[in-house]
Amino acid sequence: MPSKYSLLKESWNMILMYALALIMVFVLTFHLLLVSPLTGKTFEQVLNYSYVLHNLTYYRIVFGLLLYAAVIHGLNGLRVVLIEWLHVKRFQWIINTIIVILMAVLLAVGTYTLIAI
Amino acid sequence: MDREKEEKRYKSGLLRSLWPYNFNVERYTYTLHRITGVILILYLIAHVFEIYHLALGPAAWQQTMALLGSLGIWEKIGLWIIAGSALYHGANGLRLILNEAFGILLGKPVLPEYPYTPTSLSRNQKIAIYVIVLIVEALWIWAGIYLLWGLGII
Amino acid sequence: MKVRIRRFDGQKEWWQDYEIDAKPSDTVLDILNRIREKHDHTLAFRQSCQMGSCGSCGMVINGLPALACQTRIGELKTESIRLEPLYNYKVIKDLVVDLTDFVNKHRSVKPWMIRKNPEELEEASMEFQVTPDQNLTFVQFDYCIMCGVCLAACPTVAIDPLFLGPQALGQAYRYIADPRDEGFEERIEVLDDSHGVWRCHFAGACSYVCPKGVDPAKAIQYLKKEILKYRLLHKKKASVKPAELVQKAPPANAPKPPPFDFKIEGGE
Repeated sequence: MPSKYSLLKESWNMILMYALALIMVFVLTFHLLLVSPLTGKTFEQVLNYSYVLHNLTYYRIVFGLLLYAAVIHGLNGLRVVLIEWLHVKRFQWIINTIIVILMAVLLAVGTYTLIAI
Repeated sequence: MDREKEEKRYKSGLLRSLWPYNFNVERYTYTLHRITGVILILYLIAHVFEIYHLALGPAAWQQTMALLGSLGIWEKIGLWIIAGSALYHGANGLRLILNEAFGILLGKPVLPEYPYTPTSLSRNQKIAIYVIVLIVEALWIWAGIYLLWGLGII
Repeated sequence: MKVRIRRFDGQKEWWQDYEIDAKPSDTVLDILNRIREKHDHTLAFRQSCQMGSCGSCGMVINGLPALACQTRIGELKTESIRLEPLYNYKVIKDLVVDLTDFVNKHRSVKPWMIRKNPEELEEASMEFQVTPDQNLTFVQFDYCIMCGVCLAACPTVAIDPLFLGPQALGQAYRYIADPRDEGFEERIEVLDDSHGVWRCHFAGACSYVCPKGVDPAKAIQYLKKEILKYRLLHKKKASVKPAELVQKAPPANAPKPPPFDFKIEGGE
């Protein structure tokens, strides 16, 4: 039952998922370390404006990588959950379109934040 | 019987998919992986918009922090659940990549012999799962102590 | 012993209780036969071989899909038994489910030997050789009896009826792993689809309930590995060389074979 409605071959999709997952293991660990007790700060100090701003500007590329990896991996995962749950092949393109729009919005907001600060 | 009812009988639904009672450990890990994944993507959407306030200046950031702070203890508990989700989803995801993309922890095809213990759910797989659970539990408890009581700072 | 059975007569569903005398060595199928003989003639269920090789009597026993003929009362270790039709299928009557979709899914992965030159299958001059080592790479998945129990356990099939399911995917790998087969490209057209192999998330419930030890979950993970290898490295499993075909019509000027001599030496 090959579908003409699928945007990508699913295997390329999953290769992307695996690759981004492996990237995120390192980048997200780094992100969690920056807000973890290992920094020697309390929870309130970690959320301080200047500390957050310093981190985001200093490690801008790392956070950019994390943003793109997390948004694409996460929304692709959500798409998988939705096409399994709703499982109507004719409407699959609607799910794909919504996911792509959501992805574009999140990436635009995130990229703007990283550039503007 | 009308068609709608028949469809309903066919589709067993979300509960049967996510309720692993009576089944193997791997099916519990599947349920957790899926639930933590959905939690994380919902959090990520909120998190991107939260960090967006950083670009609007210190006042907007303070306002956002005050809004989150008004949730009181629920903010901390929510973050604790999200931290646990991230830890579990990452650790179990690594195991799944080993299984699916590299064929590790599965065992070789064998001649089935009674009592038919499947090698893909064998001792190695169980050890991997228990190691993941132990590591995630330890880190999660540490995160909980840090978030809820402000302790555990090195 | 109390037996609760999920009944369905085409209109309504209900639970029905029966009180049966049972020995620990009785199978669930024995109990069902006894109910039909002595208590209730209207109870419907499938059975054929009574020894776990036909795959007709799959049903959910105490919440776990299994074959009724292979489950003994003593193994269950419960006071009462709860029987339901297999999950994730349309129910026709009582414990009988509709396996049409299941068989169609199996058919859609082309579970037969595919050669690039189909004539080889009919007119090869010798058999395709498979060494015992090669045989061991797929023979486990060949033991499938198509009972449909794995689909009742699968969490993806529970929400997605279009998902091919562990049985079809396991059989697809059985043919892909077979060195005699050359249909890999043809099959991944079907397998690498939005409701194909990637909707398996390795919950392993199919292998857990499989009554023949086929281990479909293992086959599916190996199938994913093969597809990834093919997409990224353009590598696929090696297959045996094309066979030499038998010549159908001998050339016209070929020497005629000598007529067979029926004379027996030393005879009259």
